[in-house]
Amino acid sequence: MKVLFVDDETDFLDIIIKRMKKRNIDASGVSDGEKAIERIEKDPCDVVVLDVKMPGFKSGIDILKDIKCRWPLIEVIMLTGHAMLDAARAGMESGAFDYMVKPADIDELYYKIKDAHQKKSLQESKIKGIENMMKEKV
Amino acid sequence: MKKLVEFFKNRFKKEPDVEGPDAEELRIAFKERYHHFKLLLNANNSALEIMTGIEQALAGKQPFGMSFVKSNCIAITVSLMRLIKNLEQLSEGKYNQLYARFDDIWNKISVLIEQKKEGKDERFVIPLTAVDRTMADLVGSKMANLGEILNKVNLKVPSGFAITAHAYQYFIDHNDLQSEIDRRFIATDITNMEALYTLNADIQKLIIEAEIPKDLETEIQNAYHALEQEMGVPVAVALRSSAMGEDSAANSFAGQYRSELNVRSENLFHKYKEIMASKYSLTAITYRLNKGIRDEDIAMSVGCIAMVDARSGGVMYTRNPLDTSDSSVFINSAWGLPKAVVDGSVDCDLFVVGRKGPIQISFKDIKEKKNQFLCFADNGVCQFDITEHTKDQPSISDDEAMRLAELAVRMEQYYGSPQDIEWAVARDGSIYILQCRPLQQMETLKMDYPDELIWKTKENVIVSGGIAICPGFASGEAFAVNSPGDTVNFPKGAILVARQALPLWASLLNKAAAVLTEHGTFAGHLANVAREFKVPAIFGLKDAMSKLKTGDLITVDTNHLSVYAGKIDVPAHVAAPEKSIIEGSPVYNILLEVSKHIIPLNLLDPYASDFKPENCKTFHDITRFAHEKSVQEMFNFGKEHNFSERSSKQLFYKVPMQWWILNLDDGVREEAKGKYIRLEDITSVPMMALWDGIVAVPWDGPPPIDGKGLAAVMFRSTTNRDLVPGMKSAYTERNYFMISKNFCSFTSRLGYHFSIVEALVSERTAENYITFRFKGGAADNQRRIRRIQFIADILTDHSFRVELREDNLVARIEGFDMDFMIERLKILGYLTMHARQLDMIMSNESAINYYRSKIDNDIKTAVLSKKN
Repeated sequence: MKVLFVDDETDFLDIIIKRMKKRNIDASGVSDGEKAIERIEKDPCDVVVLDVKMPGFKSGIDILKDIKCRWPLIEVIMLTGHAMLDAARAGMESGAFDYMVKPADIDELYYKIKDAHQKKSLQESKIKGIENMMKEKV
Repeated sequence: MKKLVEFFKNRFKKEPDVEGPDAEELRIAFKERYHHFKLLLNANNSALEIMTGIEQALAGKQPFGMSFVKSNCIAITVSLMRLIKNLEQLSEGKYNQLYARFDDIWNKISVLIEQKKEGKDERFVIPLTAVDRTMADLVGSKMANLGEILNKVNLKVPSGFAITAHAYQYFIDHNDLQSEIDRRFIATDITNMEALYTLNADIQKLIIEAEIPKDLETEIQNAYHALEQEMGVPVAVALRSSAMGEDSAANSFAGQYRSELNVRSENLFHKYKEIMASKYSLTAITYRLNKGIRDEDIAMSVGCIAMVDARSGGVMYTRNPLDTSDSSVFINSAWGLPKAVVDGSVDCDLFVVGRKGPIQISFKDIKEKKNQFLCFADNGVCQFDITEHTKDQPSISDDEAMRLAELAVRMEQYYGSPQDIEWAVARDGSIYILQCRPLQQMETLKMDYPDELIWKTKENVIVSGGIAICPGFASGEAFAVNSPGDTVNFPKGAILVARQALPLWASLLNKAAAVLTEHGTFAGHLANVAREFKVPAIFGLKDAMSKLKTGDLITVDTNHLSVYAGKIDVPAHVAAPEKSIIEGSPVYNILLEVSKHIIPLNLLDPYASDFKPENCKTFHDITRFAHEKSVQEMFNFGKEHNFSERSSKQLFYKVPMQWWILNLDDGVREEAKGKYIRLEDITSVPMMALWDGIVAVPWDGPPPIDGKGLAAVMFRSTTNRDLVPGMKSAYTERNYFMISKNFCSFTSRLGYHFSIVEALVSERTAENYITFRFKGGAADNQRRIRRIQFIADILTDHSFRVELREDNLVARIEGFDMDFMIERLKILGYLTMHARQLDMIMSNESAINYYRSKIDNDIKTAVLSKKN
C-alpha cells in the first residue's frame, strides 16, 4: 500500500512517515500541493493524506479536487490543524474519504488509511470484473 | 384442477439460484456493499460518541473552549456526511432526501458557530475626551469607564487616548493570525497545564513578532504627538489593556491582561504588541476557558494614558466586599504607584471610612511599607526599598482619605452600584482616578459550628490570622508555590500556599480548593479572582510558608482565619457552594444551542409511519435512520438478488434451530451450500460470545406469575397486532444473526420482547462498540418500565451507558479491548434469554430481589467463568 503525505510542517511529515513505515506502509511525503500532483504523475499511489492549509498557489481543497478529478480511484484523507467547518464540509463534498483534525490519533489515522485503501481495492476489482465480463461477451 | 395445481407449483417454484460469472459479479457487489456497511457503522459509531462527548460537556463539570465546540461540530459533520454517502452507495440512492435534511440542519449549526461581532466604527484611535460608557465595544470597558468618569462624572483623570478594538482586529487580520491561533488551540490538551503553558508562550511570541500595519502605526504616532503637545513636555504613558467585556459585573478579568507603566515613545509599539499578546497569557487563557468566554469575543483595545507622578496610590472599594450590609468605604493605600496594592505584593495601609452621618474615619491600620513602585527615569517602573522613616508613616493623610471616600460615594451614586476604584495622589496633592469597575460583593457566610467541631478546630490550629478574602471552608493537601514553574505540577483540589498574592497564581484557582498567602490585600487582583471563583482564601497569614509544607493535609476555615491540621469535616450547610462557572457562559450557550440540532432523537420507532428521511430534525435522527436502513439493505440483498449465498440460513446445532444467520463476509469458515449453517463453522467473534451467554444457563421457563401478571399479558396480546401469530413483519419476525468475523447484529424476538444487539469487536480497540436495544413486552406499562429499570441497573453495573425512554432501553459501551467486549456480549446473551419474561413478577418486591441476586450469581458463576 502506497501512501503520500502532503504537509508543510516538515517535522510532522518526518514523524508520520517514520511511524507509518514501522507499520509496513510504503509512505513518502512532499511539502505542498503542486509537488503532490507532480509526484502522483510520476509515481501513482493508493492513498493521499493531505493538509488543508498549505503554502503554494492552491488550497488543500483545490488540490483534493485536482486529484479526484484526474485519478478518481485514489482516496484522499484530509488531515488538518485548521478547524474550519466550511472547509470540512467542502472537503467531504469534493470526495474526500475523511476529514480529520490534528492532533490525530496515530492508530485512528492508520485504520482510516487501511479502510481507504480497501475501498480503492474493491473499486478496482469491480472494474476488473466488468472488464472480464465485457471480454467474455465479446 | 390439475391446471390449478400446476399453476401454484409454477407460482411458488423458486427461481433457480444464480451461478457462474453472474454469481461472481454479485459476490463482488456484495463485498463492496459490505465495505460501505462497515464504513457506515464506523461513521455511525463516531457520531454517537461525539454526541456523548457533547452531553458530558453540557453537564458542566469541566471547562471547555470554542475549539472544543468547533472541532466537535467538524467531527460530527464529517461523520454524518460519511454516513449518508455510504448509505447512498449501499441503497443505490434510495434515501438521498437525507442530503437536503442534512443541509438544513448543518446550516443552522454553521450560523451558530460562525457568528461574529462586527464593529462598525472604523476608527483606530479615539481621544479620551471623546469616550463614554456606551463605547465599550470599541475601546474596551476600562477605557469606556474612564472616559465616562472624565466626561460625565467630571472627575480628574489623566489625559490620553484609546487604541480601539478595530485596530486590534486590523492588526490580527493584517498578519493572518487568527487561523494560526485557532489551530494551536485545537492541538492543545486544555486540561494539561504544561501544554497550556507552551501554548501561551507560543501564541504571545507569534503576536509580538507580527508587524503593525503602517497606517495604524501612523495614527497611533499622531495621537501620541498630540498628547505631547497637550502636556507640553515629552510624556511617558501607561499602556493599559482594555478588553471588551473586561470589568463588567459578571467577569472581572482581574489581572488577566498586561498593563505597562512609564512607556516612552521609543518603546510604544513593542509594548502595544505585548499588551495585545497578553490576551493569551496563561491566566487569561485559563480564565476564559473556566468561564466559557469565547476567544473571538475578546478584542484587545489598549488605553494610552499620561503617567501620573504618584506620591501615593491604591485601590478603594465603595463598600465592604465581604459584607453587603456594611456601607463603609475601604481604602488600601501605599507609597508610590498603586501597583503595589494591585499586585498584592506589599503590605499596605487600610483606611475604613464610614458614611453614615458625616464622613469620618472609623478604622486605620498603618503597616510598615518596606518598598514602593516608582518610575525609572527612562523607562518602566521599579520596586525601591524605603529606608527612611516614611515607611512607617501613613501613605495618605486623614484628609486625603476622606476626600477619596467622598469621590467613592459620588461614583457609587453615579453608577448606582458599589465600585472598585484605582486612584493616585500626585505630588501636588491632586487626586486622579485611574480605573473604575463594578465591585463584586459577597454575602457573609454564617457558620454554626457544632460543639464537637469547635473543640476539634481548637485542638488542631497550625496557623491563624490575616484577613478573609473569600469566605469558605476547605480541606486538601497544601501545595507551596514559589515560581511560575510550580504552577505546572499543581494538583487538582490542593490548597495553594504562597508568599505573595501575585496575579500569576490566578491561573490555578480553577484547581485550588483554597488559597493562603503571607502578604496581600483584599483589593489585589488575586483576591478579586478568588471571590469570582468562590475559592476560600485568607491573605496576610503570617508564617504560612514556613508552617505549611507541600503535601500536608490541612483544613482552611476563613470564619476563624485559621488553618487546621488534617481533614475536618463540616456540616453540609457550612460547606462552600458547588462551583459551576462554565454553565450559562457564552461558550456553554453556543454548545447548548448547537446541541439542539444534534442530540434530540425524534425517530424512535423504525416501524412507525413517520420513520422517513423528511422527518429527520436532528443529526441524531439522520444517524438513527441511516443505520436502520443500512441494516435492512444488507439483509435484503440476498433475497432481492435471489442469491442464496447472501441469503439467510438456518442455524444447525445438533438439530435445526429457530435461529437464522446471514453471513456478511467472513463470519463462517466455509460457505455453506445448503440451507443450514453449522454452529461449529461460525467464526464470528461477537456472535460466539453472545451464543456462549445464551446457552450459559438453561432457561427454566417463565417465572411463576402472580395473578395480575397473566391478565396483563392477555390484555396486551389482543391489542397489539404485532404479537398475533400470522401477522409477521419483515426480518424482525425471527431471531437473526448478521455476522462477519468481527461484527454481529443479533435481532431477537422471543416471546413478547424485541431486542437488538449490535457489536463490533476486533483488534481496533478504539472502534469497538456494543449497542443493545430492548423494547416491548406484554404486561402493563408500569411493569414494563420497572423491568426495563431492572435491566438497566444490571447493565450499568457492567459499565454500560444506559438510556431509558418509556419502555425503550438503549445501552452502549465502546472503546474497550476484545476480552472486555466479549465478556459484555456474554452478559447480553444471557440477559436476552433470561430477562425476557421478568415483567410478570415486577410488582412483587421480594421476587425482584430474588431474581436480581440469581442473575448476579449466574453472571458470576456461569456466564463469565469460562475464559475463552
